[in-house]
Amino acid sequence: MIEFKNVTKLYEDGTEAVKEFSLEVRRGETLTLIGPSGCGKTTTMKMINRLIDPTSGAIYINGKNIKDYNIHELRWNIGYVLQQIALFPHLTIEENVSIVPEMKKWSKKETLTRSNELLEMVGLDPAIYKNRMPSELSGGQQQRIGVIRALAADPDIILMDEPFSALDPISRELLQNDIQKLQKEIKKTIVFVTHDIEEAIKLGDRICLMEEGRIIQLDEPKHLIMNPSNELVKNFIGNQKSPWQTTVGSISTYKKDLILSAENLNGANYRQQGSFVIVDKNNVFQGILMNGKVMKGQRIEHDMSLYDAAECLNGSDQALFPVLEEEKLVGILSYQNIVEHLRSTATKENGVIKT
Amino acid sequence: MNEFITVFQKRQNMLLETTLEHLQISMISLIIAVILAVPLGLILTRYPKVAEPIIGVSAVMQTIPSLAVLAFLIPFFGIGTTPAIIALVLYGLLPILRNTYTGINEVNPALTEAATGMGMNSLKRLTKVELPIAMPVIMAGIRTSMVLIVGTTTIAALIGAGGLGEIILLGLDRGADINLILLGAIPAALLAILLDFILKILEKFSKKAGIKSFILTFLIAIFIIATPFIWNGNKQPDLVIGGKMGSEPELLINMYKLLIEEETDLTVSLEPNLGKTAFVFSALQEGSIDIFPEFTGTAIVTHMEDQAESNEAREVYEQARQGMKDEFDMEFLQPMAFNNTYAVATTKEMADQYDLREIGDLKRIENEITAGFTLEFNDRYDGYVGMQDVYNLEIADIKTMEPGIRQSALTNGEVDIIDAYATDSYMIELDLVTLDDPENLFPPYQGAPLMRTDTLETYPELEAILNQLSGKITDEEMRQMNYKVDYDDESPNEVARTYLENEGLLPN
Repeated sequence: MIEFKNVTKLYEDGTEAVKEFSLEVRRGETLTLIGPSGCGKTTTMKMINRLIDPTSGAIYINGKNIKDYNIHELRWNIGYVLQQIALFPHLTIEENVSIVPEMKKWSKKETLTRSNELLEMVGLDPAIYKNRMPSELSGGQQQRIGVIRALAADPDIILMDEPFSALDPISRELLQNDIQKLQKEIKKTIVFVTHDIEEAIKLGDRICLMEEGRIIQLDEPKHLIMNPSNELVKNFIGNQKSPWQTTVGSISTYKKDLILSAENLNGANYRQQGSFVIVDKNNVFQGILMNGKVMKGQRIEHDMSLYDAAECLNGSDQALFPVLEEEKLVGILSYQNIVEHLRSTATKENGVIKT
Repeated sequence: MNEFITVFQKRQNMLLETTLEHLQISMISLIIAVILAVPLGLILTRYPKVAEPIIGVSAVMQTIPSLAVLAFLIPFFGIGTTPAIIALVLYGLLPILRNTYTGINEVNPALTEAATGMGMNSLKRLTKVELPIAMPVIMAGIRTSMVLIVGTTTIAALIGAGGLGEIILLGLDRGADINLILLGAIPAALLAILLDFILKILEKFSKKAGIKSFILTFLIAIFIIATPFIWNGNKQPDLVIGGKMGSEPELLINMYKLLIEEETDLTVSLEPNLGKTAFVFSALQEGSIDIFPEFTGTAIVTHMEDQAESNEAREVYEQARQGMKDEFDMEFLQPMAFNNTYAVATTKEMADQYDLREIGDLKRIENEITAGFTLEFNDRYDGYVGMQDVYNLEIADIKTMEPGIRQSALTNGEVDIIDAYATDSYMIELDLVTLDDPENLFPPYQGAPLMRTDTLETYPELEAILNQLSGKITDEEMRQMNYKVDYDDESPNEVARTYLENEGLLPN
């Protein structure tokens, strides 16, 4: 959908904001751009609607270089939501929403229907709100309008530049939920710039973590958290990582005395007490021996988060669980492991326990 | 108050006419200023590097005194409405320019970015976002400019553009007649308030109806205002006779007009009460007037920048005539009898108290008295400079002031002596005493028609017609006629006609 090919942006003062940047944003996905300030994430985003032109390299939308589009028409088809909200203070809500449809020469009726529909979509009654001025709305309401203004002419692409960072935490969360819900219906390609890793994880189908104009890691949120590619990523997401997000692979232990080989089981000398994991000679998981009975047993994939694993564990009466990677046993998870892990990540400060 | 009402009733027609002129001149100037400054301000926002220098230039224009701007413009544009409007436009530019520039620049950059990001082109962004948001600031500039212009339009009267300044100047000339000054100043203030109110409504309206209808309203306003202006461009007169400020020149030019129209088919129009000697003279050079009565002494001292070689009236005239011919290619026709020379005047009480008869007698009290002199007198050799030299005077305190207010300063006791013109009417009214000039410091100031040689070549009959006044009108007659105009409020035209009829120059 949107493709960056070796894009570099060098500002006049010599700062190299984006370096040899290549990235493909897939149709219908929400890609969050995140990184410390000055990492080039906003520059990257603004190059898509040509608010900033790259120094070298090119950007393609639907396979066509964005320079070959009429710049205004290009922008009419890319919704833009700003951090500062930037509703035009002298225009009513309806007039604000109607700007791009009007430029695209939609009929009055079409425009009106559309703005009513959008207002309803974000839970603002058109009868009450459409003739109000932006200043009469709360911050959260204003940014809702900011979002639907970007959606008004039904663009394929939406750019969002830290859209919720100026809002209070409650409004922010509400709007994040709204966007999630909305995106399920509208399936737009969204490029979302944020400095808030929680937001990036919550909203992004993929996260692109940048530093000094380069991509450090581009991955789905769970992979980014579970397999940070380097220290920097780890640090960036560090505090965000709940102990529940840890992959079970890293908690589980490989205790030889709890593993039985399938060949040794031939015959009836089963142990009548305790739980064991049975593997074949290739270390492929075969089943569980529990109190003398062989059973199929509940199994856990190694990259599952502890949170998800706990779901599996919940309905089971097993005392231990095999952790598998491609059918091979990589570890054994017990409730003891889990408790130890949770205890090890918690700290106690001034009598307040924090995870 | 009663006096004010009387003045108001007597001058209703003049008031209405000058108010309309005032409104017209101010509005045209304001509209031109807006048409120039708003787009310029908008362009400057796109070129911030040149913005400050250009705004600086318009600020410099504001610091030049309006009179100086007028003086500068006369050689190029003559007298009348055109130079007045140019000067006023220059005055009105700065507030509009600065506020437009600031207003647009102060639009929140996020809004500009939003507009651009949404795909507005530069023009669309300007009309849909920047202008409406900057409008209150721009309108504030326009309103400031309007007040400035309406106020400054009062000086337009100095170059014959009319307006309420005419009434104010008349008041100043008539010894700072407070009622007349108020009659001019109050409507000017009311006009400013009224226009401010209209602009405020216009601003509100533009907020509701959008920028397009605002521009439309503006165009309609131009149309309405320009229409009477175009009407005025009717038949040009053959001759325009100008005159300096005051009743005496106005009487003389009325006589010229009456005589010329009596004996020829030429049409003559009058431009009385032109501000300063320099204005009238450059208007004559430039051609927007054809004749004006000038004093022989002034011709020598001011125009030729020379000294009178004699104190004998005939010789002074001859020197002036020759000089004007040689230096400026102008004809100075025969002078009239009266000698409106400078005189040093004081009150009768003062003269009695200190036994003042001659200018030299002032020496005794030079450390105690305050003099009220015109700027011109204070600076001339045949004025105070000469008094210092010839009579060895060093007056302790000198206040320079407009001619029109000297006499009230004297009667109020704020000054003890003034420079006066010998034929001024207040000499009678205020019973002033003139001090003798035994050293003949002040050269004769005889009035005579001054015109360009080419005018006389085109209308040679003028010489004979105007020379009928040669040697006529004595000091006393002139004083009496001035008195009739200034204090009895008779029309200069009527007083002039009566005199000419009595002299047999016009048929009864």
